[in-house]
Amino acid sequence: MQSESARVTTAREAGYRIQYPNSKTRSVKVIALDPASAKLVDEISQEPWNGARFFTALSFSADGEPGATGAGLQAWLQDIAGRTMSLVEEIASSDFVVVVTSAGEDARAVSVIADACALHHKSLVALVAPGEGASDADVSASMAHLRPFARMLVIAHAPDYISAMLTALRA
Amino acid sequence: MLKKEQNDFLCQTDPGTPMGDMFRCYWMPALLSEELPEPDCPPVRVKLLGERLLAFRDSEGKLGLIDEFCAHRGVSLWFARNEDCGLRCPYHGWKFDVTGQCVDVPSEPKESGYAQKVKLKSYPLIEKGGVLWTYMGPPERQPPEPMFEFCTVPLNQTFSSKRIQECNWLQAMEGGIDSSHVSWLHRGDLANDPLFKGAAGNRYNLGDMSPVFEIVENDGGLLIGARRNAEDDQYYWRITPWVMPCYTGVPPRGDHPIHGHFWVPIDDHSCWAWSYDYHPTRPLTDSEVQAMKDGKGIHVRYVPGTYRPLANKDNDYLMDRAAQKAGRTFSGIEGIGMQDASLQESMGPICDRTKENLVGTDNGIIMARHRLMRAAKALREKGVIPPGVDPAHHQVRQAALLLPRDVHYKEGAKEALVAKKGVRQASV
Ligand code: FES
Ligand SMILES: [Fe+2]
Repeated sequence: MQSESARVTTAREAGYRIQYPNSKTRSVKVIALDPASAKLVDEISQEPWNGARFFTALSFSADGEPGATGAGLQAWLQDIAGRTMSLVEEIASSDFVVVVTSAGEDARAVSVIADACALHHKSLVALVAPGEGASDADVSASMAHLRPFARMLVIAHAPDYISAMLTALRA
Repeated sequence: MLKKEQNDFLCQTDPGTPMGDMFRCYWMPALLSEELPEPDCPPVRVKLLGERLLAFRDSEGKLGLIDEFCAHRGVSLWFARNEDCGLRCPYHGWKFDVTGQCVDVPSEPKESGYAQKVKLKSYPLIEKGGVLWTYMGPPERQPPEPMFEFCTVPLNQTFSSKRIQECNWLQAMEGGIDSSHVSWLHRGDLANDPLFKGAAGNRYNLGDMSPVFEIVENDGGLLIGARRNAEDDQYYWRITPWVMPCYTGVPPRGDHPIHGHFWVPIDDHSCWAWSYDYHPTRPLTDSEVQAMKDGKGIHVRYVPGTYRPLANKDNDYLMDRAAQKAGRTFSGIEGIGMQDASLQESMGPICDRTKENLVGTDNGIIMARHRLMRAAKALREKGVIPPGVDPAHHQVRQAALLLPRDVHYKEGAKEALVAKKGVRQASV
């Protein structure tokens, strides 16, 4: 047969892949929305990453008018070293954003983060880490809160899931 | 992406490998009932999890799945005569029953007891829902029978087919939970396929090409919810269940039969893609069954006399560039089953996941791999029976429904996600 595919007969040939990198390092920003998840994110940040950066929204404050969007949007993040960073700038320089919350905790910061993501056209993944003793109602409440804002919402019971996911995403 | 060691860990299912041990905890589809239609019919060669086996139905109708090769000098018992409650090897006449026990060695006096000393490896084979199931693990761990709804409804309500797929099981199974491909690869078929078209819910699919996803764990595996905006402050949800390790369900459409797959490793480079279609509350109609036999829906047409698809890699899957250009099919390949199979086979015999670039919406796949790895490790290190073995985990149903926007589908669709006898599927 003349077709190229017919020549790809051995498993070795069919499995051939060119050995050049097919992507560049991404800039992933991981933001903890509450104190419990901040602890988790802090631990994860100790692992070796391909440039992923980790923040908490602990000192989160939306300056200016509440609900401000577009150029009026001002809010602050704290990085792992305790430095205060501009949310909008961090998001502007990211490829995508991951927010993490513990079930039942205050996750309101997500709305401002989502505004910033929308402003800069970045996609937002939200992870709920139920933590020990979280009730179904807590999980549902967190999900209801995050639902309007994330393209992908994940409930991750396994304690090591967040780092597994970041690894899978080459963060 | 996965590291090479992780990829090998997940893809290899031969005896003694961690995933191989895990697969050997479950009942798995091995053959269609139609392959062994009657007592003393021809035996069938079966390869599963890297083991070459032979299935047969003896004179009394008993089913056996045994080592393919004769214990005497190693010829394939596929050549054997199936007669008088056993397979007799045509070479020197040794005979084996459905348990693999040698029952006759003609060269030795019966009284010597020689035959009793010889036994081929065998596995239980049971018939359920038109499918012959086997369990290839240690006998002391044999679980209760499978209870997937498609194999427990009356036979006139269910139809299963299988096709050989020339790639590793994992990339095939991942296609079953990769909800984000449906709007692309299969977009032409929603409106045209007799087993899909006409459902009220289809307009939500076609109206919104970028669904939003929510992934939640359940006892046996995962639920992957894809939602699209619907009227009246509701979402249209399509919920795909995955039961570990390799059962996936496609969310239903209208009153069409419900379908899904089992992805069973043959060896590391090939798998059986099983496709089931059933209706919980009514017999399948003649035209539905005919459509399934004609390769519509998720089924395929075959090279006559085989379970190899008629469109296969040797003929470039009958690629139709004109149909692709005109948009009748998105990929140029006809039929949902072959659209999936062609692309999954193109990934190579074992997909090199060190090179992939996943995105956030691939979390269903990421989490499935993560759960598989954890479960295989827990089994190996602590003897923990993996999720999906318990028949209660099989009684999950795929669903397509409208829910208010603030409702978590695991709660809002609680009833809909459970298989209940005599209760119609939740579907729009
Ligand atoms: S676009 Fe997903 S595999 Fe190519
Ligand atoms: Fe598909």
